[in-house]
Amino acid sequence: MVTTLRYALTGRGRENQYAVWLALAGVVVVFGPLLLGLFWAFLPAFSRSAWSDLWADPEWPLALGSTLISTILGSALALVFALLMAVQCYGGAAWSRLQRQLPLLLSVPHAAFAVGLLFLLAPSGWLMRLLAPFAGWVLPPAWVTVQDPWGLSLAFALALKECWFLLWVLAAILAEHTILQQMTIAQTMGYSRLQAWRHILLPQLLPRLAWPMLAVFAYGLSVVDMAVILGPSNPATMAVLIWHWLSDPHPLIQAKGSAATLVMGGLLLSMMVLLKWGWWACRVGPYPKGVRQQTKAKRAWHCSTPLLAISYAVLAGLLLWSMAEAWFFPAIWPEALSLRVWANTDFTPFFNSLYVASAAVLLALPITLIWLEWGPQRFNTWLYLPLIIPAMPLAAGQYAVLLKMGLANSYSSVIWSHLLWVVPYILLTLTGPYRAYDQRFMVMAQALGKGRIKACLTVKWPMLMRPIFAAMAIGFSVSIAQYLPTLFAGGGRIVTATTEAVALSAGGNRRILAAQALLQVMLPLGAFILAAGLPRWLSRHRQGLK
Amino acid sequence: MAFLKNMGEYIVMLEIKHLCISKQGQVLVNDLNFKIAAGDFLSLMGPSGSGKSTVLSWIVGSLDEAFQAEGELWMNGQRRDALAISARRVGVLFQDDLLFPHLSVGQNLAFALPASIAGRSARRRHIEQTLLEIGLAGFHDRDPASLSGGQRARVGLLRALLAEPDVLLLDEPFSKLDAVLREQFRLFVFDRVRNMKIPALLVTHDIADIPAAGAVLDMGEHQAH
Repeated sequence: MVTTLRYALTGRGRENQYAVWLALAGVVVVFGPLLLGLFWAFLPAFSRSAWSDLWADPEWPLALGSTLISTILGSALALVFALLMAVQCYGGAAWSRLQRQLPLLLSVPHAAFAVGLLFLLAPSGWLMRLLAPFAGWVLPPAWVTVQDPWGLSLAFALALKECWFLLWVLAAILAEHTILQQMTIAQTMGYSRLQAWRHILLPQLLPRLAWPMLAVFAYGLSVVDMAVILGPSNPATMAVLIWHWLSDPHPLIQAKGSAATLVMGGLLLSMMVLLKWGWWACRVGPYPKGVRQQTKAKRAWHCSTPLLAISYAVLAGLLLWSMAEAWFFPAIWPEALSLRVWANTDFTPFFNSLYVASAAVLLALPITLIWLEWGPQRFNTWLYLPLIIPAMPLAAGQYAVLLKMGLANSYSSVIWSHLLWVVPYILLTLTGPYRAYDQRFMVMAQALGKGRIKACLTVKWPMLMRPIFAAMAIGFSVSIAQYLPTLFAGGGRIVTATTEAVALSAGGNRRILAAQALLQVMLPLGAFILAAGLPRWLSRHRQGLK
Repeated sequence: MAFLKNMGEYIVMLEIKHLCISKQGQVLVNDLNFKIAAGDFLSLMGPSGSGKSTVLSWIVGSLDEAFQAEGELWMNGQRRDALAISARRVGVLFQDDLLFPHLSVGQNLAFALPASIAGRSARRRHIEQTLLEIGLAGFHDRDPASLSGGQRARVGLLRALLAEPDVLLLDEPFSKLDAVLREQFRLFVFDRVRNMKIPALLVTHDIADIPAAGAVLDMGEHQAH
């Protein structure tokens, strides 16, 4: 780091020196305190009593079990769903149709999605109402369809939500020209589409999916909002249990919580090793035998159809419940619709979320842009770590810092805590376009006598308007979706759309819950629409920026 | 074949009749007809955007759904334009060699080799023999990425031919090689194709790519104006 700094600081003007320091300062403010926080948060775990308490806890083994089931099954299913859709649709018109829908599907926050899925799958939910006429039900069946003790419904929810993320990653890889041509070449040699996937595409795609899969796995491990809504309750999943323990005033219980968080980290590490090992084991494929199979007739049925149908039914269910008057089982449609609930809806969580997310993005954007322009880029990998580390230890570490400094329970601390995820996501989405930018424009601007900062402000950043707006929308939706950091840093007192939806999910009023969940959906959706429309409007007289 | 040709009986191995391709109502190719005999070359010339690569995709069967195409594709007296890509028996060589990066050089070739040569050791022997013939002895287990551009190009052609196609299509296969390599690889391709006695269709915008005895078709004449 020292040599990089020295290199960065010499041979450039004083203006740039300050900029390099500024780039570092921004990143240090976001990430730096965390290192201390992690130390403070995990210090209690280094006592024997913490571990003996943990293993003596009657809830722990069950919580560990349901977490492992929901996470492993959920991540594996998400991969299977995404691959099935890609195998069936890639190269056809269905593929581009599917890709056009991805932004909407990705923008739905996890908590709202879980609430909608609850409405769909619960014994009194839409699915059962559809089946009721055939089964002759007058009352909801006494089945456990959600919040099952094994975490199966949670696994299904994770799979259904994360498969769109994995499909999005797959789409980016499959868009590469050479991949499509390799597929064509394999087919001209007489191999079927499925064989081309099996022998040519999958061996190249799977290793590149390792990091995204790890992110999905880490998310499943530490997810609290979805687990509270759809997961088992007695005992809850590991993440929910840890969150209860860590927020307990008793230091012994807190110590148990930090020991359990270390177990969570251990699970992630073992998953990482397992993925690496799995890749090594499959690395050497069998010697090609040259056996060609016939291409089967095209299926009329796509597996994306039911997955899309469920995802849209989730949104439709939220909308309908928020406007439903009386809607008793087994009616498929409510007796009447009204805006009564909307008229009485509390918009405070909505505006709190809007405020926190806007502030987080407006802080994160300059930090990221300055970092991209002046920061030592070889440290980027470290900045991406929050994307693949479970949120639990990070949020706990942030909380420890805020407590020590007496800063918890304020809006500014919540905004700061969100930056840890907002900055890496903005960085991740901006890095590609930033690297691809034609540097000659900057040389030209500087040759015309502009300083580098001025050249960035007047030439480079305005030209990168589109990716910058897109990255802002992503950062915004990342902030909206944050549950754990909001709870920790806000001390449970700062109510956002996300925390409100989760809190209401325990109560009985579906209409208010549906309205709050919809409000949570609208925030990122609005941001994405704005990010797509605003640059188009701003550059309406500039064909070259299209 | 040469004997038959001398007798005035021309054995047509690849024939295209009345090919029209359009996209969103705009005609790209208008009534294209040609025949190529076994062992012969036909070069499709034309500036970029004249639809020559589109014609090639249509023959392969990988034409994007955004295009509307009409016409007949005949190979060895059999109509094939309605068949799936994998049933057409067409070999393709693109600008990039497109060797599968996760397989070794030998495995790339074994992937193309028909299953009729059965058994791992027999297949491997066959591949090693072919590598020897093109001056790449001992390259079986090499990573394709470690080969030079010229070596990769040769392996790429060999892979396309090992699958025993009825026709070979070449989409500007020389354009990414430097001048010296380009000349060597050109001769290598012409030689191999004549040995295989299959018709070859070459798409190019460089007059130097056209083989000495080959026919030329200018795509500009088949465009709608």
